[in-house]
Parts: sequence; structure tokens; C-alpha cells
Amino acid sequence: MPLLEVENLSKAFGGVRAVDGVDFALEQGELRCIIGPNGAGKSTFFKLLLGSIKPDRGRIRFRDRDVTRAEPHTRAHMGIGVKFQHLGVYGDLTVRHNLQLPLQHSLSGEAMDAEIARLLARLNLAGTEERRVAELAHGQRQWLAIGMALAMRPVLLLLDEPTAGMGPEETRETGALVHSVHEEGVTVVVVEHDMAFVRQLGAPVTVLHYGRVFAEGPLAAIESNEDVRHIYLGASRTMAARGRYDP
Amino acid sequence: METISFIVGLLYQYADTIALLALSAIGLIIIFGMMGVINMAHGEMMMIGAYITSFAHYAGIPTALAVILGGIGAGLAGMIIERLVIRRFYGQLLSSLVATWGLSLILSQGALLVFGQLIQSVPTPFGSFTVGELSYSYYRMFIFLVAMAMIAGLWALFRFTRFGVRARATMENPRMARALGVDTSRVYALTFGLGTMLGGFAGGLLALTSTIGPFYGMTYTPQAFITVVVGGGAEIVTGLLASVLSLGAIKTIFMNQTNILLGHVAMLVLAFVIIRLMPSGISDWVERRQVRVRER
Amino acid sequence: MMPLRRHLGLLVGPQEMGRTWYFWVGFVIVIGVGAAAPQYLGRFDLLNLANFLTSIFLALSLCLIWGFCGILSLGQAAFLGLGGYAYGVAGINFIESHGNTWAALGIGLAVPVLLAAVLGFVMFYARLKGVYVAILMLVVTLLFETFLNQTAGQGWFIGEAHLGGNNGLGRFSGVIKKPPSFIFSEGGIKFLGKSYAFFYLTFGLAVLCYLGLRILVNSKLGYVMVAIREDPERTEALGYDVRLIQLIVFCISALLASMSGILYVSWGRFITPDVFGVYNNILPVIWVAVAGRKSLTATVIGTLVLVWLSQRLTETDYAFVVLGGILLGAMMLLPEGVITGIVDRGTALRARLAARKSARA
Repeated sequence: MPLLEVENLSKAFGGVRAVDGVDFALEQGELRCIIGPNGAGKSTFFKLLLGSIKPDRGRIRFRDRDVTRAEPHTRAHMGIGVKFQHLGVYGDLTVRHNLQLPLQHSLSGEAMDAEIARLLARLNLAGTEERRVAELAHGQRQWLAIGMALAMRPVLLLLDEPTAGMGPEETRETGALVHSVHEEGVTVVVVEHDMAFVRQLGAPVTVLHYGRVFAEGPLAAIESNEDVRHIYLGASRTMAARGRYDP
Repeated sequence: METISFIVGLLYQYADTIALLALSAIGLIIIFGMMGVINMAHGEMMMIGAYITSFAHYAGIPTALAVILGGIGAGLAGMIIERLVIRRFYGQLLSSLVATWGLSLILSQGALLVFGQLIQSVPTPFGSFTVGELSYSYYRMFIFLVAMAMIAGLWALFRFTRFGVRARATMENPRMARALGVDTSRVYALTFGLGTMLGGFAGGLLALTSTIGPFYGMTYTPQAFITVVVGGGAEIVTGLLASVLSLGAIKTIFMNQTNILLGHVAMLVLAFVIIRLMPSGISDWVERRQVRVRER
Repeated sequence: MMPLRRHLGLLVGPQEMGRTWYFWVGFVIVIGVGAAAPQYLGRFDLLNLANFLTSIFLALSLCLIWGFCGILSLGQAAFLGLGGYAYGVAGINFIESHGNTWAALGIGLAVPVLLAAVLGFVMFYARLKGVYVAILMLVVTLLFETFLNQTAGQGWFIGEAHLGGNNGLGRFSGVIKKPPSFIFSEGGIKFLGKSYAFFYLTFGLAVLCYLGLRILVNSKLGYVMVAIREDPERTEALGYDVRLIQLIVFCISALLASMSGILYVSWGRFITPDVFGVYNNILPVIWVAVAGRKSLTATVIGTLVLVWLSQRLTETDYAFVVLGGILLGAMMLLPEGVITGIVDRGTALRARLAARKSARA
């Protein structure tokens, strides 16, 4: 039984079918990348998984339960951790309070302090507890967002463009962090635009195109697939010319 | 004969209610649909239209022209307001709500200070006709036709004119529209001006049926708000039509059977029921239905 | 004693200005000066001050939901008015005849909270847009005004209380009973509107609410509220039921607003449908927006200043034009509020000076 099973999932906005009959499955302990040109439906698919939008059609099963209509907070407690594309942090609060939000469900007092210290060390953020998040560097904020998702102790971690806006060094460190989380047994899905980062992760890839699963398989096979290269390079050029952007 | 006069009475009331809702909401819903801004000073735009109409009428200008002048005056006022105030609050919906409410207070209280409690009202033109024992005003039927014509005109404007295309592009995706060379800030200014102009025009039309004072517009705004909430902002014309037809029906029935207050309460209750079922308003719901039908 | 100390620690949490010793010295001085008011104020001024203080609860109610939870309600007067009417009606029936002030208070608080629960359930569970919530609340409030204005007929008795149309409860009443002040049979204390006791009651409640809200906004729930204000979608993904929390905070805010209404009625012994009107709805928005909606302290100070100012201005005709101008000016120049803006700038300046000093050393 897969950890996550998606059947015939569809969602339309206005006249645009952003996600169109997607089937998708993840085994426990997998690391998977989802790629696709701009407008392929990656972000919509991501939001359908976390529950902030509901599908027009199709089913989502997670840990043997139908969660198609479940609210995001329910899914969060079932073990889906999320890092959003754009700064998933609260700029007005301090680093400590950002981490406190996911942790205070189960911890308090010294146990919480210890967990915050542990997370900060892991995220290379030690010493920033009392700083307002808006004052952090961009890469640090991205890590903090990943840390907040980890603080939920997820079974399945969804990362939407975790390296957006990062330099090469930070990107490498992020890759190492993703690998170490995966090695702990967490199932990880990375929605990514940057092929360099996908190569660094070296995980199996699902390609979305026009809201459908276009191809799926090991990284090497996907990279050598002519059709994928065509849509990824060719299509992204024409899509950019038409001005479609990821909804 | 009694059933006929009852039905005529009901239809007359329905048309009148629809006209009132459509006229008071049309300017508001354009601005909300296109810019996402709720203009809390909309009632004051209607008030400006009514004041100009009254002053122009008593200056000897033909009434029809006076009403149009009211619309133009409110439109100009709206464009000035957009430039001085609204512009600073793009993307901050709640702040624009509060700022325009402040403006509404200044305008209505300012009018009170300058012109006093009431100004001269304008007589209702056209006379009346009788069916059975009840008499009906021709002017109210005329207003209904004008309201329908305004909605049709709006549809044509967005559909066929260059401004309409630019406006829709701006509404869909302002960043993209700018990249394609649309002067979005001009589109916003014109849209706001259009919305307030229609508000002023409606104010002038309705001024011929009531007394006019500084708080004249405020009596229409609650209904206008309900109409906008039910209609939603996705498809302005469809939303407005669906909203005034459904709200008008329920209000007419309750007004006919009980009183105006319960008519208003019924509208509000219907609004709450509709938002519970279709949180983004009727127009958004219709839009999604259409997509599904097309898919089959 | 441990939990108490923890709660007191929350008083000085980072969500609210006032983490320095001199803030609290100032606070104690203000409390002292306020508590001594009956010593140096004449009867009329004291009466007036007590009336000012009743506004604080309404202001804090809006500050809590708008400033901390991000929900703007343009109809907070609905809860104030309904609280006042419910207390008044219950008071006429229970207080003088049965001496049961607690029942009247309970009803005065419960009715508005119930309304908030019903409206909040519909609006928040439908995930209604913020602008819709704001204007629907205004529409609801104005309908209460319309409804109560047409209750002049003889059919509108609730027990012994006559709703009285636009005369309201208790005004111009010859035969008809006025809503009473609080009478607590336990100690036999009457909190008549003109008495010291009423002033101390209102003053004490205002201080308690202010301190209680400081604890609330620095508690776990407080952080979740701010997180919802900043980004509801992300807060949901962190495992919080945003709709439920919005509903809870909305009910707390209704409770606070109803306190204003109850105190107002027991102070003046009358209430009219005007309390539901546009002005009572826009005034709290002006106080909170101008002072600084994200701060309880700024809200309290700003409300007192602006209420005092509008009272001075009502002697002229310009009161609402000036208040509208102040609101518009503040929104355009200091959108975070005048008091908050000044304090933030002061803090930033101090930090810069400190940095320069340490750089020189």
C-alpha cells in the first residue's frame, strides 16, 4: 500500500485546467522530484496535496485514509509537512516564535526550548532565535521555513521550490539537508524548477506538463528523454512568450 | 380582475426593486470587480450626483441633462479621489476600505455643513397610470429600463471596446498587462471614474423620487453591499444580474407580504445562505459551472 | 504559584509594547492618577470620565480582531448595542424586581456572543473574503438600527420592558421603566452612573481587560492569531484550524464590545437605536486605525485622546469632518497608526544611536 496515492486528480480555474487527471503514488521512504515548465500545474498539484484547494474530481489517499476533502490542518496533524514556494515564514515574529508555532501543539517549557535549539543547529541558524525573521537573509528564511515543516515531525514532507532565490553554495547545503531528512525515513516530495538542484538530489522524477503526468522515471531516463527536453526547453520558451505564469 | 391587479402590482414592485438594487450597486461592483476595492464613499458619490442634479434642475437645465451632469460630476470627483487616495492603497484591501470610509465621513458631513439638512428635491416626471385601484409611476418603469440598459451597456463596453479589453486584461493579470504595454494606472483611474460616474448617475436618477440630503446615499449603500457580496467580483455583468434578480425576488415577496424591514432582512439572510453555498459569489460559481459543462 | 508567574511573564511578552521598566513605572503612575480622580475631579468631570472609559472596551474589541487577528469588522457596534439592549431588557425584568444583577449581566454578555458565534460560523467557515466580512458586519448592524426604530408600538414588550422605537429603552419614559444600574445584593452596593463606585468599577474593568488582553496576545493563542493575520494558508499547514480560531477571537471581541454597551446603559440608564448607527461603527475604526491597531496600549491611549477631542469638537459643527480627516490623514501618512508609528521610530532611532555608540567604542 503506497503512503500517498492520487487518482485522476483534476482542478480547473476559469477555463484553464491546471491539473488534469493526474495519477501519482509514493511509497514510504521515497524521495521524489516533480518538475515541469512554468504553468505545468506544479503549484496547483502541490496545493491540492496540502489541501488549501479542493479538487473538482479525483481522490487523494494518505496513510490509508481518504483525505480528498480533508482540511489542511487535519492533513498537517496526519503528518504532511509543507514548505511553501514564497517565504513560508512570519516576518513580524522572531525566529523562536516562528518555530514555536508548529512546536506548541505538543511541547512546552524546557522541552520546547531544547527542540528549538536542536532545529536551529541543524538549520545553521543557531544564535538567531531572538531576531525578527524579516531581518534574516533570504537563504536563512528558506531554511527556517523548512525547519517549521520539520518541526511538525512529518511523515511526508512537501517542499515547493526550496532553493528559489539561493546562491550555489546555499543550494548545495539545502540539498544536503533534504538528503539528511530523507535518510531519517521521511518521505520527501520536492517541487522544483531548477534542474541543477534536481540533478543534485538525483532522485526519481515526475514530469508535469499542461496539468498531466508527462513522464515518470529515474533521473537519467528523464534527462535523456527527447520529449521531456523538448517540452522543458522548447515549451518553456513559447510559454514564456505567451506570458503564462504558474498559477 | 383582482388577481390581475395583484400580479401587475407584484411585477411592478419586482421591476422597481431590481432597478433600485442595480442602480445603487452597479458603480460599486465595477470598482470591486476590477480593482478589488470596496469604495465606502460610494453613497457619497450618489449624493454628489443627486446634488448636482438638483442644482442644475433649478438652474433651468433640462432634467435629463441635469442627471447626466450629476454623473459626470461624480465621475470627475472619483478620478480625483483615485489619484489622491485610492492609488496609495492598491493591494491593501482593508486599508482602502477604511480610508474611503474616512472620505465618506468627510464628504457627507461636509455637505451637511455647506448645504444644510435638506436641499430642494426634484419633482418626479412622467405622471402615473392605474391598474385596478392602484396607481403606478411611469418614471419608476423608466428607471428600470435605464438600469437594464446600463447593464447591457456595461456588457458591451467590456466586450467590444478597446478600453474593455485593456480593463479585462488588467483585471486578469495586471503585471502581464503592463508588460504588454497597457497603462494600468490609467485603466484603474478610468475604471474608478466609470464606477463613481455610474454611482452619480444613479444618484441623479433616484433623486427624482426622493428627498435629498447629505446622507441620501447612505440609505442605498447597505443594499448595494449585499448585492456586491452576492454577485462577487469574477464576472461583473453576470454577477450583478444574477444578484439583483435573486435578491430582488426575495425582497419583493417579503415586502409584498410583510414590510420593507423584513424585505431587507430576507435579502440579508439570502445573502448569508448564498455565501455559505458559494463563498466567492454567484459569478464565480457560474464561471466554474461553465467550465465543467464545457469539459463534458 | 508557578502558573501564575508564567502568566505574569506573558504580560511583558513581545507582542505588545511595554517591555521596559520605565513603561511600567509610567503605567503605575497612570493607574495612581486615575484611581485618585474622584479626589480632584468635580462630579460632572468624573461622570464624563467614566463615560470615556466605557469606550475602551469597544476599542479593544476591534484592536483584538483587526489588529491581532487581521479581521476587519465595520460593525462592532452591533455587539455593543445588542449587549446594551439585552442588559437593559433583562435588567428591567430582573434587577429591580428580583435584585438579580448577575442574570442581567449574563444575558447582556451572552446575546452578543451568540450573535457573533452564528455570524462568525457562517462567514469564517465559508472562508469569506475579508472585505465581505467587513461590509456584511456593517449591514447587519444597520439592520438592527432599522429594526429597533420600528418597535414603538404596543406590541413590542419583552416582559416589562418596552423597546420603544427610536426613543429606545428608558428615554422619555413616564410610565415605562428605565433600565437600572447594577445592584449587587451581596454587599448592597449600587453602581449608580453618577457614583464613585461606578467610576471605580469601569476603571478597574478597563485595567483588567487591558492586562488580560496583554496576556492573551502573548499566549499560544496570541501567536496563532498573529500568524493568521500574516498568512492564514501557512498557519493551516502548521496544523491550526484557522476558521475555528477566527470564530473564537470574534466571540471574545463581541464579549468586549458588549461590555461597552452594558456599562453605557447602566451609566446613562437609557439606550436608543442610534447606538447601532454609522457613527458608532466608524468611531472605533477611527480610534484604532489612528492610534495603531497592532497595539493594545496605543489603542487605549488613542481612544481616550480621540474621545476627548470629539467631545470638545461637538461644540462646533466640524467634529466628524475633523475626525474623518484625521482618519484619512493617518491612513495615508502613518498607516500603522500614529502612536505605534512614533514609538517604532523612537525605537529605531535608539537602536541606531546605540549602534553608533558601540561602533565608536
